[in-house]
Amino acid sequence: MSDRQTTSVPEQPVMVGEKLPLIALAGQPNVGKSTLFNFLTGLNQHVGNWPGKTVERREGKFTFNDRRYNLVDLPGTYSLTANSPEEVIAREFVLRDQPDVVIAVVNASNLERSLYLVAELVTLPAPVIVALNMMDVAAQEGLCIEPEVLEAALGVPVIPITATRAAGTLALLNVIEDTLAGNFLLTPRLPEIRADHRIALDEILNHITGNVPSPYPPEWVALKLLEGDTEITRTMQNTLPVEKWEAVNAVLRNHDDALLAVASGRYEWIGRMVRAAVVQPRMGQISWTKRLDEWAAHPFWGLWILAGILGLVFWLTFTIGSPAQVWLDSRVVGGLSTLAGRVLAEAPFWVRGLVVDGILGGAGAVLTFLPIMVIFFAVFGLLEDTGYMARAAYVMDNLMHLMGLHGKSFLPLFLGFGCNVPAVLGTRVIDSKPARLLTILIAPLVPCTARMAVVAFLAPAFFGPNALLVSWVLVLFSMLILVLSGSLLNKLIFNGQRSAFIMEMPLYHLPNSRTIGLLVWQRTLSFIRKAGTNILAMALVIWVLSVLPGGNFQTSYLVQFGKFIEPVGRWMGFDWRLTVALIASFPAKENAIATLGVLFGNDQGVGLVQSLTSTYSVASGLSFLVVTMLFIPCMATVAVIRQETNSWGWTMFNIAFMLMISIAADSGVYHLAHWVGL
Amino acid sequence: MLEQLVREIRKGGSLETHGLAARLGTTPQLVEAMMEHLQRMGLIQNYSDCASGCQGCGLRDACSGQSTVRLWHTKFED
Repeated sequence: MSDRQTTSVPEQPVMVGEKLPLIALAGQPNVGKSTLFNFLTGLNQHVGNWPGKTVERREGKFTFNDRRYNLVDLPGTYSLTANSPEEVIAREFVLRDQPDVVIAVVNASNLERSLYLVAELVTLPAPVIVALNMMDVAAQEGLCIEPEVLEAALGVPVIPITATRAAGTLALLNVIEDTLAGNFLLTPRLPEIRADHRIALDEILNHITGNVPSPYPPEWVALKLLEGDTEITRTMQNTLPVEKWEAVNAVLRNHDDALLAVASGRYEWIGRMVRAAVVQPRMGQISWTKRLDEWAAHPFWGLWILAGILGLVFWLTFTIGSPAQVWLDSRVVGGLSTLAGRVLAEAPFWVRGLVVDGILGGAGAVLTFLPIMVIFFAVFGLLEDTGYMARAAYVMDNLMHLMGLHGKSFLPLFLGFGCNVPAVLGTRVIDSKPARLLTILIAPLVPCTARMAVVAFLAPAFFGPNALLVSWVLVLFSMLILVLSGSLLNKLIFNGQRSAFIMEMPLYHLPNSRTIGLLVWQRTLSFIRKAGTNILAMALVIWVLSVLPGGNFQTSYLVQFGKFIEPVGRWMGFDWRLTVALIASFPAKENAIATLGVLFGNDQGVGLVQSLTSTYSVASGLSFLVVTMLFIPCMATVAVIRQETNSWGWTMFNIAFMLMISIAADSGVYHLAHWVGL
Repeated sequence: MLEQLVREIRKGGSLETHGLAARLGTTPQLVEAMMEHLQRMGLIQNYSDCASGCQGCGLRDACSGQSTVRLWHTKFED
């Protein structure tokens, strides 16, 4: 219930020389401090800057029970160490202006994060009241907080409030009044530090006592020195006699780990407070998450679950997506091609060719991917929304470490499953230049969505019911090549160095159909836009090359070029058309299908899939699938490789490296498949 | 507790907040708070998304900045 009416008291004139009680509002950013400030002061506030700083200072007045108060909204800070101007302002205000009360606003839905500032405030001389804000959010998240227990544990008054609804503010104002009247006799429980650092703290305190400038409390200064606070260190270095400073400095040098130890003591204090005051934090969801993660995040079983889910994605794709794709290919695109051929029978040959072979045969063929892409988008959206994708990344990183790959390399590599471009850009997280370069070199080996779509299109055509198994093996094969390359490079460059990668695991939750629907819709629109622009443009270029110079396909530039490079394609079981399709996939991987659509466009009324299976052997089909997974990256990826390496040399090396791997692996696969009679 | 967390991170490898919380005998939320503290100290780095650089990707409109999972990696060496 709102307390607004109770606290809104008419303004009273300020008596000349009257000293109003000074209240400071402290808190981390985004805990609702400003909401409380605005509620208490209403329009009676003014905004300026803190002296000598560009940080905003908000100050106002309010009246409660016929008494006026001065309220200062301190800048939002995480701690009171001199890490930022805001933190220096906040602590200097508390120490120098000596407010009568400091209200520490904390977020009840995330006490672990909010209480750190309280751990620092309770060591200062000003009385502290904790305003436990966002109680409504905490309740929504299933948290049950006992304010009276937290009060007993902290040793300072704790008032639950919901500032957005002004709930609990009357109680807060009453406690402010009682605190000023000295009616609260609580003693704050202070964080402790490890015994060995406690001795160091006492030593420092002995050296500085008598030389600490006012208004700093000596105990607090000693703690800040131990914490390595730059401002306090500078102040004390300038204040202390040289021999005293050297003695202090010697203690600090012997306890250089105290920086973490002091903060560690505060987190242990926070842990105790939370254990005492928070009852069954989200236990239902946590226990489910814990139980599921025993399997899903397990280093061994987690990998099998991931492989199983990948298999399920392919199963769904081939069970639902592929028949829909075949139907679109033969009935819709094939039908439209036949219809357009009839309608344009009397039109000039280039108009008919442009529409039937260029537009429908090229971009139309790529648009038949749509059911497959929608399934990919929906399944990955579902996995992301339930919280599983984080587990997939985690178990894969475990595998990478087992194989000797660098942990930091996995982050960008995982992005590569969506698109290789962000994978290459993601290598910016790697500090070491050689490590980053090598990760860039192997990133294009991660099968991206576009490569997977080509596989999903062709695998059912050549392998029928075995398409699921073949696609699954192709992904594993691709990852094996990546791991082998990565392991080799790791040994050569990283020398087995291990660094950490830490991931926040979201709780599992039921997927939201609206979120997934929106995701699928946005991604589908993006795909259609791409098919209607880049891929259509490439299809038209291929078509133009297939009719120039004289309008005869057999003597066209495309056929001449295809026949010129055909000998290389032969190693992999390709004729000139498959070789040209492979090269055309350089601007975008989907262009391979668009190009085949243009090249087989003469078979009007027959879908592309049928044309391909009647032309090529299974060995050639498998070979084309393998090369799709390993061939040089698309043009956009090459462009970012150039940008990120800042070297044409390394960019060319990457192209050559990928070309070598793809031709070598593919020739091997083709000859093996041919040898076993496929 | 923070020192123990740093020791775990220094061991290297892939870690996740629930597992770290179990090893430290605390809640994942406290581990996340400590991770943010280490980030402010400059000892670890948050892995921010690369939405600004996805110009070449056909799916950039759909995916940029949608991930809700936070990742960190270490800046200190063994």
